[in-house]
Amino acid sequence: MGILRSIRSGLRALGDKSSRNREIDDELQSFLDESIAEKTRRGMSPEAALRSARAEIGSAASVRQKVWHAGWESTADTLARDLVYTGRRLRRSPGLVLVVVLSIGLGIAANATVFSIVSKFLLSGIPVGDPSTLITLYRTYERGQCCNELPFPVYRDLREQAKSFSSVAAYEDILPASLSGPIEPERIWGQAASENYFDVAQVRMAAGRGFAASEHRAPVIVLGYGLWKQRFGGDPAIVGKSINVSGHPYMVVGITPRGFHGLDQILDPQFWIPLGKMSEISLLPTSEEARNNQWIRVAARLKPGITQTRAAQELDVIAQRLIKAHPDTDKDDGFHIEPVNSVPPSFKKPLYLFLTALSGVALLVLLIACANVANLLFAHGSERQREMAVRIALGATRVQLLRQLLIESLLLSLSGGILGVLLSLWATFALSSFRLPGPTMMDLAVHVDGHVLLYAFLLSLFAGLLCGFAPAWAASRPLMPNALKGEEALARPGHRFSLRSLLVVVQITFSVVLLSGTVLFLRSLSSAANIDVGFHSRGLVMMSINPQLHRYTPERSVQLLRTARQSIASLPGVLSASTTDSVPLSMGGRSDGLEVPGRPKPKASDSVDLYMAGPNYLSTLGIPLLAGRDFGEENAGGPIVAVVNQEFVHKFFQDASPLGHIVKGPHVTYQIVGVVKDIRSRTLGENQRPILYRSLDRTLASDASFDGYTLMARYEGDSTALIAAMQHEIHALDPSLAIFNIQTMEDHMRDALFLPRLVGMLFTVFGTSGLLLSVIGLSSVMSYAVSRRTREIGVRMAMGARASQVQALFLRGGMRLALISVALGVPLALAAARLTTSLLYGIQPWDPVTFILVPALLVLVSLLACWLPSRRASHVDPIAALRMD
Amino acid sequence: MPDPSTDLIQGTLEMLVLKTLALEPMHGYGIALRIEQISDGAFRVNPGSLLPALSRMERAGHVQGKWRASENNRRAKFYRLTPEGRKALKAETAHWGRQIAAIHRILEA
Repeated sequence: MGILRSIRSGLRALGDKSSRNREIDDELQSFLDESIAEKTRRGMSPEAALRSARAEIGSAASVRQKVWHAGWESTADTLARDLVYTGRRLRRSPGLVLVVVLSIGLGIAANATVFSIVSKFLLSGIPVGDPSTLITLYRTYERGQCCNELPFPVYRDLREQAKSFSSVAAYEDILPASLSGPIEPERIWGQAASENYFDVAQVRMAAGRGFAASEHRAPVIVLGYGLWKQRFGGDPAIVGKSINVSGHPYMVVGITPRGFHGLDQILDPQFWIPLGKMSEISLLPTSEEARNNQWIRVAARLKPGITQTRAAQELDVIAQRLIKAHPDTDKDDGFHIEPVNSVPPSFKKPLYLFLTALSGVALLVLLIACANVANLLFAHGSERQREMAVRIALGATRVQLLRQLLIESLLLSLSGGILGVLLSLWATFALSSFRLPGPTMMDLAVHVDGHVLLYAFLLSLFAGLLCGFAPAWAASRPLMPNALKGEEALARPGHRFSLRSLLVVVQITFSVVLLSGTVLFLRSLSSAANIDVGFHSRGLVMMSINPQLHRYTPERSVQLLRTARQSIASLPGVLSASTTDSVPLSMGGRSDGLEVPGRPKPKASDSVDLYMAGPNYLSTLGIPLLAGRDFGEENAGGPIVAVVNQEFVHKFFQDASPLGHIVKGPHVTYQIVGVVKDIRSRTLGENQRPILYRSLDRTLASDASFDGYTLMARYEGDSTALIAAMQHEIHALDPSLAIFNIQTMEDHMRDALFLPRLVGMLFTVFGTSGLLLSVIGLSSVMSYAVSRRTREIGVRMAMGARASQVQALFLRGGMRLALISVALGVPLALAAARLTTSLLYGIQPWDPVTFILVPALLVLVSLLACWLPSRRASHVDPIAALRMD
Repeated sequence: MPDPSTDLIQGTLEMLVLKTLALEPMHGYGIALRIEQISDGAFRVNPGSLLPALSRMERAGHVQGKWRASENNRRAKFYRLTPEGRKALKAETAHWGRQIAAIHRILEA
């Protein structure tokens, strides 16, 4: 009530200032009249009464002022006036505005972009009921080692025993399937979930419903929002209709709400089917009942009033009970609770480390930007000493001046913030285009969301205060007598190393650090791109199909792959074609523990990377053969042929010839028919891994691939035309086949360079901004020094100094700052580089090229930044300079 | 006028104005005169503090001002206590009483 009334009358007063003032005047006049009347009544003469009353009341203007100040509107009024005034004044120095807004914009953009990643992984929510009581569970092993998924019987035990939860659901988190239908067939990723999954999560469906209690084995499917929009045009009538999933009919019963992506971060499932139907879709033989087969994820809803800690205590008790009941399988196993929508525990540490480092670097950019802005505002302020002095002389208080100057810097920094958000919109778009190599149902796209906007706003406010306060403080305190004469208070003779120089030193020092990082990472990127991966990555196109997602039996799958390979090999321009299960450098892959009968076990690990290979595999991929032969059409009887790499020979055969020997895996036996050179198997930066290539035709049935099979063709000519032709050949065999992962090996290599490219890109942006900002800073300090000392230069020249001497004087001053900064920056950069060792490919953190190039570059650029102002100094006309003012 | 007796403790002016208006509606000068008379000239209220206080109180809804003719047949703004103002007066009087008692106890101790 009171506030409303106050706002209303305040607005009225603001709207019609003159009538408000008239009312105050009227009231004052009536006060005066009454006072005079009273005094004359008491016997004073009218003149004496008037005089006495006037004396009592004092200045009418001051009373009016006081009444006016009693309401809030006066503050708003001055603020508005200050804003208008500030705007008008800033319009007069567009150069300053441009540089300041650009500086802060770059700084804010860097931070907002990094924060958009933080926001995605740590702050984003998902549309489930009360996320604080929804948890997901992992199985720990070896007394608290994190983390595994759960064996199915343990899920059942939890359902029966745990009293902390009102309900417990289970889900298989990564399940591939194919969608065929009226439009292009498509391979998609989804999840299989227990029928109570959507009830436990309390998901409010966008359309339809979740699973009913009776639908454990029913052919029903819930579609993700994205898939529904993209493939079914967002048509709600799809609910109730049947669609073809991996060759089986499923009825759509519901659509998840927008933003729901299962219960874990990063994953991006697009459909859900009942757990009981999983065996129909999944290719992997699941031994559901084995207590040592960890495959299922569990989510649970805490009962009201039960905390996570209480639940964890009860889970510990249950774990102990399970160990007693099943000592063989459950020994030393426990449970680990994660809040819903959390990053998988194994990702957490590297992700946090990465984000912390990035935030640090982004803050460094902002700091450089702030130093720059503070510097410019100092210069701008000292040019206005006279104006300030005049205003103080005319009765403005220092607080008023300070307020106005702060408003100015806040206005600038908020404009910078807006620019920064715009820039980071672009940057997040660029970041979202990064893809991980290998099979992904991950959602790594980042966006500028509400959190990011708030963060950017607060940060700009903070930056405005940070770089505005000291200059405003200094500018609002001119040394009156000097300032009125037009001399400058900040320029105290004798102070050779001013605050402004210090700011420039800080700037350049940090720029050295950033720029060293940039060069280091760019060199690392180029050396990573030039790493010898061991195969020919040029002139190779690939695409994948997964016949088993289309109800092909293993035998028919082998047949299909063979026919497809043969028809592709006969396409014009194709040199050779082959098949495999997964391409190298996909960040992961399949492996098995192997042993060679009659040979000692390898010392460390017996794990060997496994790749399936069709005929001509080695020649198609371009892996040099050292001994033995390439894969051909292997006959169905006899041993399964395999080719191994040098590292394998070294580890399992101590470099003796392995040809003809037998290697045993858990369920299979291979016979070695060839030895090849090493290749990078999973990542570019890995230590050499032992690899065994095995015949695809012979192993597909017993060890089906999760991510389908890749047809590779080595070609000459145009890849686009070849890709179209290959798709055509495949669809000629079966038009319902979903073709996915269509790319050239070069594309795949670029994805494999994901980390060095990402870091390199970020640092290029950060480093360049830092360098630019420092150059602006240094050159603005130098030109300011020149303009400040124009008279001194005039005197020097009048006394006979030559232009070159004057120029040298200023060059020396500027270069001294630059050299000090470089000397400070290099050790800092070296220390920081040590922390990045694990991100560098093929170069050392103390890479000599970087640490010679960067200081040299900075000195050169500084020289340029000082050159222009110093040239201006040498062109000073002594007569004009001495006549100044 | 460096007369210490004219200084009012911060915040008490509004209470005194409320109390004065509790008897009858009055204009600004009338309020000042009444306070001066009742306090035997100890408190002199000049318009520089009275008018802003009245403006504040009007904003807060404790008083309501209306222009009408004064007893001398001049136009003056008369202030009237609102029910809210009456409540505020009661609260402030109680508060003041407690403070006085406390100060008293401290001085007596």
